[in-house]
This record gives sequence, C-alpha cells and structure tokens, in this order.
Amino acid sequence: MSEVTNKTDIENAGLDLDLADLSNRSILGRRALERLDLLFLAVESLDFNGSEAILFNCEKLGLQKFFPNRVELWKSRCHNPLRRTTRRGKLESAESDALIMLLCSMADRIYPLIHQLLSSREPEDLNFERWNLMESRLEELIRQRMNPRRGAVQRLLSPESSKLIYRDLVRSLALAAGPGGINRLRASLLDPTP
Amino acid sequence: MNISLRYDQSSASLQIEGLPDTSLGQPDGVVGIVSSWKLQLMGSIDLEGKREHLEDLMANVLPYARYLMSDVSRTFGDSRSSVSISPEGSKHRLLLKSSRPDVQPLTIDIDDAELADLVRCLDDLRLDNRVKISWKTPLDQPLTRNELVHRIPFMQRIFPPLIGGASIFLVAFSALFVTSQLPTEENRIDQTPNPIELNKK
Repeated sequence: MSEVTNKTDIENAGLDLDLADLSNRSILGRRALERLDLLFLAVESLDFNGSEAILFNCEKLGLQKFFPNRVELWKSRCHNPLRRTTRRGKLESAESDALIMLLCSMADRIYPLIHQLLSSREPEDLNFERWNLMESRLEELIRQRMNPRRGAVQRLLSPESSKLIYRDLVRSLALAAGPGGINRLRASLLDPTP
Repeated sequence: MNISLRYDQSSASLQIEGLPDTSLGQPDGVVGIVSSWKLQLMGSIDLEGKREHLEDLMANVLPYARYLMSDVSRTFGDSRSSVSISPEGSKHRLLLKSSRPDVQPLTIDIDDAELADLVRCLDDLRLDNRVKISWKTPLDQPLTRNELVHRIPFMQRIFPPLIGGASIFLVAFSALFVTSQLPTEENRIDQTPNPIELNKK
C-alpha cells in the first residue's frame, strides 16, 4: 500500500492540537513582542497583499475570537514597544499564541518565496534583485510604523546591521513554516532576555 | 502489509516504509515499525538506513533548527551519534557516519533553504497521525540564559562585574583608612576623666 502525505491534513492536525491548548502558556516579553511584530512586517514585505492575507488566514484558522477585525489585530501588534503608537501592558497569553499561529500560517503560505530567497541554487543576479526588493519594502514598512528615535529601530535601518537582521528574520520564517514551526517559534520567543 | 509514506518538499524528499505493530494492537494503515527509509536531498546522493539512523537525524537536525531560530549556531551530534550537524559559514554541514567500518563518513553541505526543507520533512513525519512511533526528539523549549549570553556585546558583559569589583575595592580601601584614624581603646580610657577624682575636687 502506498500513500502520499496530504500536507494540509498534517498541518491542520498540528494547528488543532495547538488551538486546544491555547491556555496555560507563558506571557511574551518585550523582546519577543518586538520580534513577533518584525516577523509580521517581514511577511508583509514579501507578500504584496500581506495585510489582507493575514486577515483572510485569521478567519480561516478561526481566530476571529481574538482578532475580529483589522483594528483588533493592529492593537495586538501595537504591543511592540518599538512602534510609533505603542500600547502598554502585556499581551494575553492566548492572544500571543493566536498571533504565533497566524504568523506560522502566513509563513507557510509564502514558503515558496522564502525558499527562493534563501536558496543558493537560484541565479545570483535574480536573488540579489529579490533581496533588494524585499529589503527596500521592509525598510519602508519599518520607517512607516516604527519609532525612528529608538536605538533598536535605527539598528534595523542601518545599512551595516540591517542585512543580517533581515536574513535572520527570513530564515526564522522558513523554520516557522510547517507543522512543527509553531512550537519552534513559540519556544524561541519565550527565550529569556540575556 | 507494507506501508509507504512520502514527505516531499522542493529540495528534500523523505520516504519511509513500515508496518503496523500488531503486538500493540495497531490497525492497518498505521506505521509502528520502520523497516527502511530513504532521504533524497537535491544535489546529493540518496541516503538510506535503519530506524536508529533516522532517529539520530531527527534528534540532531530538529534541535539544531530550534537553536538557529534563537540565532544560536552550534554543533549537534557527538561521536557516538551516526549524524551530526554543524554551522559551516553560511551553510550547514551534515556529517553522516556509516555503521560499516570500511565506509568513510559522508559530508553534505546544505543551505538555509535546504535545511528548512529537511526540517519540514522531518516535522511532517514526526507529527503524522499515521506514524505511531515515539521518537526520541527533545521537545522545543526556551533556551537558558547561559546559551544566549553571546547576544550581549563583550564590553556590556564585562562592564557590570568590573564596576562591581572596583566598588568593592574602593569601599574596602576607604574602610581601612577610616578605622586607622579611630582612637584605640587605651587612648579612650586615658582621655575619660575618673568619676572618683572628679568628686574629690
């Protein structure tokens, strides 16, 4: 008997499992909230229709309880202290888990694009163009939404350090895609601040 | 009945063959015993082996990816393990040791995209409901503070203990100076007037 894996079934199984134990999770710290929001920005920079796709995926995953509309989603993301309009307080643990799930499903959606960017087998010139496009879009989004007076934002925009940070973000998205990505990303976001 | 499962990504493909473990009452269509597996990585020869080799691959590649997510690049897999993975410039080096004594270890360098594909294939297998095997893969856990210490710049790391040490030294030194100026017990007795003599006067 030979069977070919149904990818969506596996992924749905993983997501159901995670939805079931959304409670009893640790609360994300300041650094984690910054990183989570930056990963969302990286998704938006890769997907021209990113913000609409995020809302669509939110509905698809049944996360309207947490983010019934784009304003609520925006308010959750505004817990990032680097934002121009930042919100005080911690993000509820269930809400942060919902954000992680949403991000992982978005990473899964744009996985072919991420793969192209990270692959060394792609034509060098083409990949250079792709990275340039992605970097310029991400820079633009950071300038629009983040507080440029913050040192961390200046580092994100500085030509010396930004390339490495953006590559790390894209690689994190690649490893966050797929059925095991949710737990991997969640664990990395719960890392202590050194 | 032999069951074959395949997990495909664009640069990696993992295929396993196995049977249900009837001693555990597993139904048909479930893999409880892996009889063989084959991993195809783009630009490399096909890898095959026993279940132990697959477990070693999983036990080293998945934690490596977990650490990479936290921006920590370190080697996974010791001398006893048949698989090890370590950072190699911008790539990742997989070292595969054969159980046969006359076969040299095989080295494969994979880029980030290939690593992500391999990780996805292994995740697909690990989380597949049709595979009822308890893998020895460690759970994804937050790292410890010590493992993340490299994120703090060297000067920032060395500055607090330096300041602390210097403060302790200064306080100790000044305390020594102050105590040497205090009157001794004998001096204090000599200077205090005797109450009997005072009464006589």
